[in-house]
Amino acid sequence: MAETYQEGSGAGADFDLSQFYQIFFEEAGENLDQMEQMLLNLDLSSANDEELNGIFRCAHSIKGGSATFGFSDVAELTHQMESLLDRLRRHELQPIPQMVDVLLESADASRSLLARHQAGGQGEAVSTTSLVRRISDLAAGLVPGDAASAVVAPPPPAPAPVAAAPAPAPKVSAPVVPGQPRQLEIQIGPLDRPEQADAIKELFRDIPGLGSIRDVPGSQANTRVFAVETTSTNDDLLDLFAFHVSKEQVLIRDAAAPGDAAAADADDEPVVAVDTSGGEAPYGFFNGAPGAPHGEAAAAAHAPVAQAPKAAPKASAEPKVAMQAQMESTTIRVDVKKVDQLINLVGELVITQAMLAQNSRGLDAGAYQQLLAGLADLDRNTRDLQESVMSIRMIPMSIVFSRFPRMLRDLANKLGKKVELVTLGEATELDKGLVEKITDPLTHLVRNSCDHGIEMPADRLAKGKSEHGTITLSASHQGGSIVIEVRDDGRGLSREKILSKAQERGIEVSDQMSDADVWQLIFAPGFSTADEVTDVSGRGVGMDVVKRNIAALNGSVEIDSAEGYGMKVSVRLPLTLAIMDGMSVGVGEEVYILPLSSVVESFQVNADDVSTVAQGSQLVKVRDEYMPVIALEKIFQVPRFDLNKSSNIMVVVEADGSRVALLVDELLGQHQVVVKNLESNYRKVPNVSGATILGDGTVALILDTGGLVRRARH
Amino acid sequence: MSVIGKTADAAPTGAREYLTFRLDQEEYGIDILKVQEIRGYEPPTRIANAPDFIKGVVNLRGTIVPIVDMRIKFNCAQADYNSFTVVIILNLRNRVVGIVVDSVSDVMELTPESIRSAPDIESAIDNSCILGLGSVGERMLILLDIEKLMSSVDMGLVTANE
Repeated sequence: MAETYQEGSGAGADFDLSQFYQIFFEEAGENLDQMEQMLLNLDLSSANDEELNGIFRCAHSIKGGSATFGFSDVAELTHQMESLLDRLRRHELQPIPQMVDVLLESADASRSLLARHQAGGQGEAVSTTSLVRRISDLAAGLVPGDAASAVVAPPPPAPAPVAAAPAPAPKVSAPVVPGQPRQLEIQIGPLDRPEQADAIKELFRDIPGLGSIRDVPGSQANTRVFAVETTSTNDDLLDLFAFHVSKEQVLIRDAAAPGDAAAADADDEPVVAVDTSGGEAPYGFFNGAPGAPHGEAAAAAHAPVAQAPKAAPKASAEPKVAMQAQMESTTIRVDVKKVDQLINLVGELVITQAMLAQNSRGLDAGAYQQLLAGLADLDRNTRDLQESVMSIRMIPMSIVFSRFPRMLRDLANKLGKKVELVTLGEATELDKGLVEKITDPLTHLVRNSCDHGIEMPADRLAKGKSEHGTITLSASHQGGSIVIEVRDDGRGLSREKILSKAQERGIEVSDQMSDADVWQLIFAPGFSTADEVTDVSGRGVGMDVVKRNIAALNGSVEIDSAEGYGMKVSVRLPLTLAIMDGMSVGVGEEVYILPLSSVVESFQVNADDVSTVAQGSQLVKVRDEYMPVIALEKIFQVPRFDLNKSSNIMVVVEADGSRVALLVDELLGQHQVVVKNLESNYRKVPNVSGATILGDGTVALILDTGGLVRRARH
Repeated sequence: MSVIGKTADAAPTGAREYLTFRLDQEEYGIDILKVQEIRGYEPPTRIANAPDFIKGVVNLRGTIVPIVDMRIKFNCAQADYNSFTVVIILNLRNRVVGIVVDSVSDVMELTPESIRSAPDIESAIDNSCILGLGSVGERMLILLDIEKLMSSVDMGLVTANE
C-alpha cells in the first residue's frame, strides 16, 4: 500500500501518490487476469494478431505502471514478457507451448510480486531470475533443451545476489521513528555524470520540511556522498531521488551506525536492518532485487547498493499490516451497473412515494394519524436513501488531482522550468462517470499551462516574478455544479498573437472583439499560439477537443487572462450526469424539460415585440439584443386542443455562446430530474437530449438546448 | 437465457411456444421467449416527428420504452384505446419495446410440422418477417419474426445506419 511509501514524508501532498497505487494495483490485477485468460485461449497453431496484440498490451500496461511507481522487479519481468510477446506479434517467432507456460508462470510471479508491494513490501519476494532467463532464451529463439547454446542469449542476470534471498540473520540499525530527525549518509553512484547527484541537493532546497543536506568529500571521483538530516523514511527519499538517479545507485546509511553499511559492503550480504528480537520470521529485504536490471546486476558490486536502502522502514511494519487489513475490509468493489440499478430503483421509489403523498393529502389527520405518520417517515427515509445512494457514485476530486504532481514535475524537468502545483478543494465530490471523463481535458489544460503559460526561470526573474511558476488547481461547488479552475501565473494569452494567428488561419476577426471573444478563438480546431511545436504541446490539437469533451458533459469552459500575469481556465460541470436541475415548461398539453443551467431568463412577450424576417423566421428584441425565436409548438408539432390558449412566454436559453428565445405556454416549475437515456430502447430524437420521469410517472422529454441553438443559426 | 433457449430447441418434438394476439380479424403468433410482460395501455408521451404508429414512450419501472401500435402499422381499420387495449412488452437483444394489440388470446405450442411456409403475398410488412403460417384446428396463425420486424429500418425504432 501506498502508505508504506508515504509515512513521515516531509514532502506532503506533493507526493501523495496513494490514490494512484490503489488504482494501479487494481488495474494491474485486471490486466493480469485478462492476459491469463487470453493466453489460455490462445490457439498456438493459428494465433491471430488481435489476440497477440491484446496480450502484449496487457503486459505493456503492467510494465508501464510498475515502472512509474518504482516496482522495478515487476517492471523488469513484464519487460521481458513484453519483448517476447513483441517478437511473437511481429511473427518473428512461432508461438510454442513453452512460451505460454513461461508467460503464465510469469503472470503468476508478477501477481505475487504485486501483492507483496500492495501489502507494503512484506514477505519474501518471488525469485524471477530463472523466469527472466527462460523468457529471454525463448525470445532469442532458443527452445529450452538446447541449453548449451544459451550462451549466445543476452547475458543472463547474475543469480548470486538473488540466491541469497531470505537473509538468514538480519541485524538491525536504529529503528525509524517518524517525525524524529535522523542523521544519514547517502552515497550516490557510481555515476557517469556525477553532476546528476547535485540535483538531489536541489530537492532538499526545493521541498520544505525535507531536511538539510551537505557535501561530504567522496572517496571516488564518480560517486558523491552527502550527509543528510531528515525526518523522511528511506523509501520516501528513494522515491524522491528516483527523479534524478536510479534507485540502484543510491545507498542510504545511518550515519550513527556506519558499521552496518561497511559490513554490508564487506561480506556482500546486503543486510542493513537488524531485528534484535531475533526470533521473528525474516522479512524479505529484497524488494528491488529480483528484477534489478540484469545488465547491471552482473556487476556484483552493485548488488548491496540496490538492496540495502529498502530495509530501514521495516521496523514500523507491524502497525501498517493492521491498517492494511482494516482497509481491505472497509471497501468493496462493485460493478457500476449495480449501483446504477440501485439508483434507478430508488428513483422509482421516490416516484411511488410522491404518489402516495399526493393521494393521502386529503385524508383526515385525526382518523388516519398512524398512516400519515408512517407516510411522513417514508418521505424522510426515501429522501435520505436517495441521497446516500447518489453518494455512492460520488468520489472526491483528489483522485483526479493526485495524478498531476508527478506529471507536472516530469514535465517541468523536461522543459527546464520550475513549477509549483497548488491544489485546493480536493475533497469536492463529483460523479464517478464525470471524474473519468474530466481527467483527460484537465491533463491537457495543466500541460498547456506548464508548457505555454509558465515562462523559463530566467525570463520570470527578468520580469520581476519569482523563479517558480505556480499552477493552481482548484475545485469547488457552486450551486448545482462543480467549478474546476486551472490557474497559472505565467505569461498569459496575447491578444495580438491570437488575432494574428487567427487571421493567418483565415478566421474572421476584428480588433474590436471583446477579450472574451478573442480567448474563445483558441478553441478553434488546429489553433495553437506556440511558436514551435514541442513534444509536449503546440500542435494545436487540444483546446478544441477539451471544449468538445466538456460540452459533451453538459459543461462549459471559460478563459480569463491578463497578458504577463497569467491565465485562468474555469471548467463548469454538472455534479452528476444522472441528475440535472430542470425547468419544466408546458406547451399545449405536453411538458418539456429545459436544463436549468442553460436558462438565462424568461418573460411574458407581447405580439408587438416579435418581428418577422423574410421566410417567416421570427426575432425578438430583448433589451439591446435581437434573438431568434423558436416556437416549441411548431418544432414539436404539438397538437392544440384548446384554441383559446397560446404561447406567450419566452424562455431565453444559452448554449455554445449564443442565445435563442423559446416560445412556450407556461412555466411549470423547477425540480431535479433523473436523466434517462432515450436511445437505449429508441433512437436519437432531434432536439431532445434525453427523457425523465415526472412525479406522476409519465415521461417528459429533455430538450437539447445546444441543438436548438444550432438549429436557429442555420 | 441461453440455457433455457437450448432446452426449448432440444425438446423431442421440436415444438415451440407462441404467444398469440389479435389485430382486427387476424391472429398472430410470436415466440414467447421474446415476451417480457403484458400490461394495460397507458397514454405514452408523444415524440415529435415520429411515424404515426410510434405512439411515444412510457415509463416502465424507470426504463423509457417506446410503444408501437401494431394496428396502425398493419393498417387495421380502427385503433381504439380502451381499458381492454393490451401492450405486449418485448425484450429483443437488450432492447425493450412495447407493442399495442387488440387482445392477447393464449399461448400455443406448435410443432414444426404444423407450420407452413407463407406464400408470397402483398402485405403491410416485409415478407421475410413472416416465419410461416401455423394451423391450429380451424384457426390460422401468422407467425412473426418479431425481432426482425422490430429492428427493420421502416419501423423507425433504430437509426438507419445502425
